Amino acid sequence: MEQLIEELKKKIIGILDLANLPSTQLEVDGPLVGGTLGLDSIDVLEMVIMVEKDYGLRIDNRELGEKVFASLRTLAVYLFENSPKLKR
Amino acid sequence: MTSQRVFIAGAGIVSPIGCGIAATAAALAGGIGALRPLTLFATPNPPLPVGQVGCGLDDPELPRTHQLARIAADQAMAGCPAAPDLIVVGTTTAGMHTTERLLNAGTLDPQAYRRHAAGSVAEDLAARYGCSGPVLTVSTACSSGAVAIKIALEMLRARAARRALVGGADSLCRLTYYGFNCLQLIDPQGARPLDRERRGMSVAEGAGMLLLTADGEPERALAEVLGAGLSCDAYHPAAPHPEGDGAYAAMAAALADSGVSAAAIDYINLHGTGTPDNDRAEARAVARLFDARTPVSSIKGATGHSLAAAGAIEAVVAAICIREGLVPANTGLRLPDPEISLAPATEPRRMRVNKVLSNSFGFGGNNAAVVIGSPLARERPALAPVAPLRVLAGACVTGAGHTEETLARLRAGEPCKGVIPLEELSRHQPARLVRRLKFMPRLAMALADEAQRRSGASHPPSAVFFGTGWGALSETHGFLNSLFETGDRFPSPTDFVGSVHNAPAGQVAIGCGATGANVTLTGEDEAFEQALLTAACLGRGAGGSLLVLGADEHHPVLSGLFDRSVALDSTAAAGGAALLLSAAAADPDPGVAVFPAFTAPAAGRTDAIAELVGRLGGAERIHARFGVILAGIPAAHRRAGEAQLEAFRSACGLTLPVVDYRRWVGEFASASAVATFLAVGFAAEGAVPAALCDGRPASFPGKGCLVIGFGKTLTAVEVRP
Repeated sequence: MEQLIEELKKKIIGILDLANLPSTQLEVDGPLVGGTLGLDSIDVLEMVIMVEKDYGLRIDNRELGEKVFASLRTLAVYLFENSPKLKR
Repeated sequence: MTSQRVFIAGAGIVSPIGCGIAATAAALAGGIGALRPLTLFATPNPPLPVGQVGCGLDDPELPRTHQLARIAADQAMAGCPAAPDLIVVGTTTAGMHTTERLLNAGTLDPQAYRRHAAGSVAEDLAARYGCSGPVLTVSTACSSGAVAIKIALEMLRARAARRALVGGADSLCRLTYYGFNCLQLIDPQGARPLDRERRGMSVAEGAGMLLLTADGEPERALAEVLGAGLSCDAYHPAAPHPEGDGAYAAMAAALADSGVSAAAIDYINLHGTGTPDNDRAEARAVARLFDARTPVSSIKGATGHSLAAAGAIEAVVAAICIREGLVPANTGLRLPDPEISLAPATEPRRMRVNKVLSNSFGFGGNNAAVVIGSPLARERPALAPVAPLRVLAGACVTGAGHTEETLARLRAGEPCKGVIPLEELSRHQPARLVRRLKFMPRLAMALADEAQRRSGASHPPSAVFFGTGWGALSETHGFLNSLFETGDRFPSPTDFVGSVHNAPAGQVAIGCGATGANVTLTGEDEAFEQALLTAACLGRGAGGSLLVLGADEHHPVLSGLFDRSVALDSTAAAGGAALLLSAAAADPDPGVAVFPAFTAPAAGRTDAIAELVGRLGGAERIHARFGVILAGIPAAHRRAGEAQLEAFRSACGLTLPVVDYRRWVGEFASASAVATFLAVGFAAEGAVPAALCDGRPASFPGKGCLVIGFGKTLTAVEVRP
């Protein structure tokens, strides 16, 4: 799980161009959307594409999205439990 | 004759529900829906329902959007022997459907992309009907068609034109089909506007065109354009303001402009895309302004959402509703949404319809509302002609850097060609704010910020007018590339939102809280002049100042394919300028003023130069008022442009010094924005650095500058002290 969290952190910093921000510390349990990084709905959609492309899971409704992208940890747990591409 | 009334003398429409007024009227009366799975191109997943036009788009040479525009325009122009003297077309896709195919096939011949430009749709119509006046292209995403009507309306009221062909056209293409899908804004069952279970829109195509006249009521006027209003949410690049504040402002402005009360509206044609957020926000705004029993409907459950065409298509539909006495059905609605307290028509309804309000809202929070009615028996007070705009401050960006770097370089007699590095471009913007943004929105924001700083931040703009020849190419390329590389499966949502032509102007509005009109014009080399003309026509009603920008980027792949002038210069160049302007009639402060004096097609016309000289008041006035010509001669039109310049100088009978400004700032479509900004400084000083005019000292105290664009279109901007 910790390895998956680290992997996701790197990917998210990459696809959302977070590397140049003064606080690139993506907190594991802090809110992913809103929060200090100011991520919004378009960032969430960018992560949705990443999840589908890299982990084979489609998140296509708002309710599920809000649950999955609540924090880095909720995302990792969801992928860990559901992704056909992650060996358990 | 001083009537300021504007009548619909002709109309044309082609949409998924039919081609022509009669077929459309029959489909609306019958409640016919036309959403079907896409067949235009192959998709990796089962095709989604779309609104695809079925009739006669079989010209192998002409992009789909251009064909749609011609079909609707031919209908609107039928029976009108006189050429229009104004064309305003809203479009976002233009040649994109063709361009996608070419790019995916690796085609590198610029000739193949000659009809890519957004401006090429209006240009095609201008050539077809021999338009003798301004030819403008509006790209404010899904409100383009309605914004185009507002621009034409104001120009006709100001007597800047007498017969305007105006409308919108867009075709289905991969960019919009996959783009809206990756934003999760598509309903897999087809759009169900206002329905409790609605999940999104259905992308569509089509065109609507109106022939508007200000020459008194024509014998068979379809209807009258009573008024229109624009606003900007200044809230988010892609999501509407949750309470519909921008929608409310646009509707209120349209009612005020038309002198019609909310209670007098018989039918509201909703934007009603079917996305949960849009419909909720629009319903809230409508409920704040209108009686809950006012008949409303969205036709997008029948036609789909044809983006830039929608506003024009629905203006034609409004005219049909008035003529037929019809309220169209809100097709697709089964379960009313308890959150929406409106009275949508579930079936087509026959009733007397005198006045229709039609809404169109777009990405970037660009909102428009149009009021169309049966001709009213009353005159409107006369509007003053378009007047000069006083310059409060300005800023520019070139290859040399920001304003001061650019001016220093030019004073030293050195060119400013080049591309400013991205970090340098955004040096004054917080990293968090520009994180997701590529070159164009950063450029527009940098220009807007600097212009406001240089004004002492004392005149926050209320309205934004943005001209760009080619729009956000990095985002467009990024989106298409991610699409092609993943077999049409995983495009970037961020790039899609950023690829919309009006995205940079939307960012500027968010940055400075400008909630008034927000208009993006995409007319290739004269996009900035189009923006300035639009500002002069629309800005008169605006409280506060106007921000007029022109900007273009250099994209290593696309710029050379789309813009022949770029391909002809070995030095890549990008840049732009912003002018903060005051439209107040009784402005007490002295200062330099800019005035968009002329714009008209030049191709194939022998009298264009003589007309330009005449419009500028003749040789004597030119000699008395102006000390230098800043000549814009795009490389692609070098020979013809130089001949035009020579003809202009000899027609004036004088040898004004000339600054051939593209040689100094480089080849990019909105180079004229930089030239106009520079001219403001020259006019204030009454002098031009000698190095810029072949070493001839040019001093002209008390006189101004003429910024003239040569090539396929002639434009002239007066910059007067």
